[in-house]
Amino acid sequence: MSPAVVSTIVGKDLKEFRADRFFLLITGLSVVFYPLIFWLLPATVDETLRVGVVQRGLDPVVTAVAEGSDGLAVVELADQTALEQALLSGEGDLVAGLVFPDDFVAAAAFGEKTQVTVLVTADVPPEVETALSALAGELALLALGEPPPSDLLAEPVVLGNDLVGDQVSLREQLRPLLAFFVLMTETFALATLVAAEIQTRTVTAVLVTPATRTDFLAAKGVVGTGVAFTEAALIMALIGGFATGAPILVVALLLGAGLVTGIGMVAGSFGRDFMTVLFTSILIMIPLMIPAFSALFPGTANAWVQVLPTYGFVQTVVEVTTAGAGWSDVAPDLLLLAGWTMAAFAAGWVVLGRRVATL
Amino acid sequence: MSPAVAARELSYAYGDHVAVDSISVDVAPGEILGFLGPNGAGKSTTIKMLTGQLRPASGTIEVLGMAMPAQRTAIQQRIGVCFEEKNLYLSMSAEENLRFFAQLFGMAGFDPAPLLDRVGLADRARDRVREYSKGMRQRLMMARTLVNSPDVLFLDEPTDGLDPVSARRIRDLVRAEAARGAAVLLTTHDMMEADELSDRVAFINEGLILAVDTPEQLKLSHGSRSLRVRTRGSDGDVGEKVVALDDPDVAGAMSAALSTGDVLTVHSEEATLEDIFVHFAGRGLDA
Repeated sequence: MSPAVVSTIVGKDLKEFRADRFFLLITGLSVVFYPLIFWLLPATVDETLRVGVVQRGLDPVVTAVAEGSDGLAVVELADQTALEQALLSGEGDLVAGLVFPDDFVAAAAFGEKTQVTVLVTADVPPEVETALSALAGELALLALGEPPPSDLLAEPVVLGNDLVGDQVSLREQLRPLLAFFVLMTETFALATLVAAEIQTRTVTAVLVTPATRTDFLAAKGVVGTGVAFTEAALIMALIGGFATGAPILVVALLLGAGLVTGIGMVAGSFGRDFMTVLFTSILIMIPLMIPAFSALFPGTANAWVQVLPTYGFVQTVVEVTTAGAGWSDVAPDLLLLAGWTMAAFAAGWVVLGRRVATL
Repeated sequence: MSPAVAARELSYAYGDHVAVDSISVDVAPGEILGFLGPNGAGKSTTIKMLTGQLRPASGTIEVLGMAMPAQRTAIQQRIGVCFEEKNLYLSMSAEENLRFFAQLFGMAGFDPAPLLDRVGLADRARDRVREYSKGMRQRLMMARTLVNSPDVLFLDEPTDGLDPVSARRIRDLVRAEAARGAAVLLTTHDMMEADELSDRVAFINEGLILAVDTPEQLKLSHGSRSLRVRTRGSDGDVGEKVVALDDPDVAGAMSAALSTGDVLTVHSEEATLEDIFVHFAGRGLDA
């Protein structure tokens, strides 16, 4: 392999990239819109439960509960109709409401049966409904001057990742997805470049000069990895992704870029024109996107998702950017990613090499 | 003088189909060898083997005294290949195309202007090749072939489908390169072009070389020569006589033909290369 020849082919490929208005547009849009979408999304998660209350004679109790409870905000409304309208229209970000009957305190004091109406919208989980029923009982006890019975106190146990108080915002969840989208865009660009070289047979012209097939393949690897890494790193920088664990993320992006380059070489080898390259690339990319989408949902991914080639990349980005994970935490994910990258690169090298040899 | 290209007993098969069957060919420096045969005869496969694109199933190749494929890179440094397909980088300009290939040959500081001027593209040097006509692209292909001042040129159908002016320009370039001392192996199925350009012609059909010689010698050896005499008789009718020049009594036959009336025209006729090809292959070049 001749570094001078590889460098010449790389320079030519970059020139072709620059001359391709479609990819310039796609790349430009990615650089502008991905960060824009990212920064427009909410950066924090509001964990406060806003509950509307309709009551008579419970003011001191309601105020005391509202002031003494973290994560609970009580909004008083005039009547049930106003509460229902507020819930349906989303006004005041209310998630549920409690309607106490006017004789609630008296009835409770005399031990008479009374009924509190709990209003929830259809999208509220049943757990919230249950919690509000408990809250109604709590308010009643406080109103009567009796402390809540001690046996009602319980330590909550949360299964899985307990993100209470430390929830990941939608913006943070989207970060690995954006990084992956950028890599995917550049995969398609490389596949198109490779397919064009094959279809126009320019590769044949290159290979009757002192340039060898190894030089050609190495150049495609360098261009694909370089372009994908550069753009992904740029996007990550623009969305503040390097705030923590930058060296780990650089390694992950580099491995991810190598992974998609191998895939691009394979897709480009099969491509006959723009549409077949597009179709082949999408066909390969759809399963590879699953780990990125699964990152949007907290919890442990299914076992089959964990063996997908992009899982190591997504998991590393998620763990480093949202949980401040270190080298030792993400080592298994990085190793998995490195293994897949080597496999994809080897597959791309062999498939494209064979395709070029048979022209 | 040792040949610039020497191939011995070359064979190649695509699966069960034998494309080239034990052929041998030499090209001397400064010589233009026309490889004449119909489509699918094995011309392009032979060129692919000679230029290192295909590894022969059997046989040996020497180019400029070096063995192919063992010394492929060294050989490729000194050859130029013009493909039948116009495999140029369309999104790049003519200048950029030539500079790129010059860099592959390790030619630092290459100036494409003289070469582009030579092929008549100097005024379009910075235009993207995508905007070029077919003739302009073919001229650029020739320019690219000459980037490294090659000692051996492999030209695969270099004038195929071109207008007469572009074809003439390319033929002039080929002659000039041969005059410079480059060995030229030209494949074509255009017998006029082969006749006009080639110092020697090799007929190839179904992977076999049927004959190799100068066009003149092929026509003399395997064709018939004649004179066609048209006369107007005393009754005003126009008549025609064909006198075979190989006739032992050619003088008597000629005298008889000329005495049939007023001589209108006398044309010499000889076999064309296509006639000779049909003689050897039993099929035409377009078959």
